[in-house]
Amino acid sequence: MRRRALIVGLAAAGAAVAAGLYRFTDLFVKHYPPTPYDDVLAALTDREQAARFGAAVAGMADANDLAEKLRPVLKSGGLDTAVKADIAADRLTEVGGWVVPQSVAQISALAAKN
Amino acid sequence: MTGFRDARTLDTATVLEPDLAIIGGGPAGISLALSLAGTKLNILLLESGGENFESQNQKMYAGSIGEQSYIALDAGRLRFLGGGTNHWGGWCRPMDEIDFEARSWMPHSGWPFPRKALEPYFPRAQALVEAGPWIYDQKGDAETASRGSVLPLGKGGLYTSWFQFSKMRGDVLPTQFGKRYKDELTRAANITPLLQANITAIRLSPDARRVERLDVATFESNGGAGKRFTVRPRFVVLAAGGMENARLLLASNDVMKAGVGNQNDLVGRFFADNPIPRDVATLVSFAGPLAPFYGSNQKLDDGAIMRATFAPTAAFCRSAQVAGSLSTIEQPIELDDLGKAAVVTTAIALGVDASNAKAYSLGCGMELTPDPDRRLTLTGEKDSLGLPRLKLEMRIADEEFARYRRTLGEMGRQLLASGTGMLRIDKHSRDDWMKTMDWGHHHVGTTRMHADPKQGVVNADSRVHGLSNLYIAGSSVFPTYGASNPTMNLIALTLRLADHLKKVTA
Repeated sequence: MRRRALIVGLAAAGAAVAAGLYRFTDLFVKHYPPTPYDDVLAALTDREQAARFGAAVAGMADANDLAEKLRPVLKSGGLDTAVKADIAADRLTEVGGWVVPQSVAQISALAAKN
Repeated sequence: MTGFRDARTLDTATVLEPDLAIIGGGPAGISLALSLAGTKLNILLLESGGENFESQNQKMYAGSIGEQSYIALDAGRLRFLGGGTNHWGGWCRPMDEIDFEARSWMPHSGWPFPRKALEPYFPRAQALVEAGPWIYDQKGDAETASRGSVLPLGKGGLYTSWFQFSKMRGDVLPTQFGKRYKDELTRAANITPLLQANITAIRLSPDARRVERLDVATFESNGGAGKRFTVRPRFVVLAAGGMENARLLLASNDVMKAGVGNQNDLVGRFFADNPIPRDVATLVSFAGPLAPFYGSNQKLDDGAIMRATFAPTAAFCRSAQVAGSLSTIEQPIELDDLGKAAVVTTAIALGVDASNAKAYSLGCGMELTPDPDRRLTLTGEKDSLGLPRLKLEMRIADEEFARYRRTLGEMGRQLLASGTGMLRIDKHSRDDWMKTMDWGHHHVGTTRMHADPKQGVVNADSRVHGLSNLYIAGSSVFPTYGASNPTMNLIALTLRLADHLKKVTA
């Protein structure tokens, strides 16, 4: 009985530590401070890479403007739909020479601002 | 008088009287002579050099260059039997239909006939350059399928097109016309190839209606002028290359003071080459390595050697007002951190797996716009036989780079639209473009073809306007250039001239 309680206790403690590490450190997943546009940034699967790319976006609007532009686009079908619509409409831009859909540049720039 | 002869063995007072004198033993001159072998024409093929490189002959090509940079005038051509084929890369591709069209956004563009007029001559030209079966765009995708798939670019302005390569028998690759066709020239009973014969003047009749004679000189062993003799041909074909054709016409100015055929100040103007800027862009294939024919020559079972390139469609050229510039994979490269971030972010956004993505640098073979101020003129400096040397004013307008950038932009769009990859344009300023600039050594345009004498030096038959018996062969007559390598195309045009000469000399 005592042995079982010990195992359960250790497992619970381990889970608590893991949860703590997951929640309060960047060991398993990178944590970002909350922003007013987390709803937009949630569309990014790899926010860190997007931020790295977005740092090269020149002359972008401020974060609020970017978020306002992206919100309706993302609501109507998600990032992949927005990207495909950009390509179809030839809304492409260059970021560090890379030819990318406008929405990719915008959301990456937003990620870089936070 | 047949078989190879050395002009240095002729007497100074010699007068040769062939039916046809061909000036220049490069691919145009040799192809023309061979295509007239067995006819009743007595042909003299005058080659300024010998069978191999000699520095005193090569020095005849030296000249000067204006403000914009270009390669030395004696570096991109070779003055001995076989001419430019002694150092060519063997790249062959027929010019596209649009290359022959007058394009509203490209001033001075258009040939006096469509590509269809050259098509009957392509098979023989292909045989002369020994590039194997005619595959190119008609069958390229199917013939290379065993080596991999073409990159699915989807609908848009660019498509995978094909080069083929000249491949002389044995271990020499590509075909060097002097070595390859020496025996055939020797065997032809009606052809006399005359080596070491430098044309120093094209002499016209007093009424400037026809060529009366050619002045010819040889070198002494010390490099000075040696024998001088005369050729009095019924017909003359000038086939000395894109620079030398212009020089000989301009320098022959005793009857026509501006030079032979230069009554409208066109000889030497419209010079062009195919700029080959390296590392113009980075292409990323999301799915991994591209098929091998994109990055290197692939020898097929039927003997053809193929390599893929990205070519613009005629529709895209018209709608985007771009030239026919071709983009070719150079080599695999590693992406920097920004590049990796771009690929990861974009691929995820597209819903595409890019975990095996592979990046390549892209190079370009550019087509330049005809420009009358990009020109060759004579200088006061003379070579060792007394001919004025050339000066080249090279020019590339910023618009040329802007046009090609539009082509790259379209390639980037197509890669994204098809979900197959993405593109980075690596050139942002004129300095960027010029920093990695190479050249095709394709000297074109200086004796351009046009039906109107005010717009061209030769007519649609390659005859110099106003002269009854002087013709020009080679890429100097190309009025618009395309981005395909010129050798196979200029040979087709020369074979067309041969057919014309058969008729007019009959």
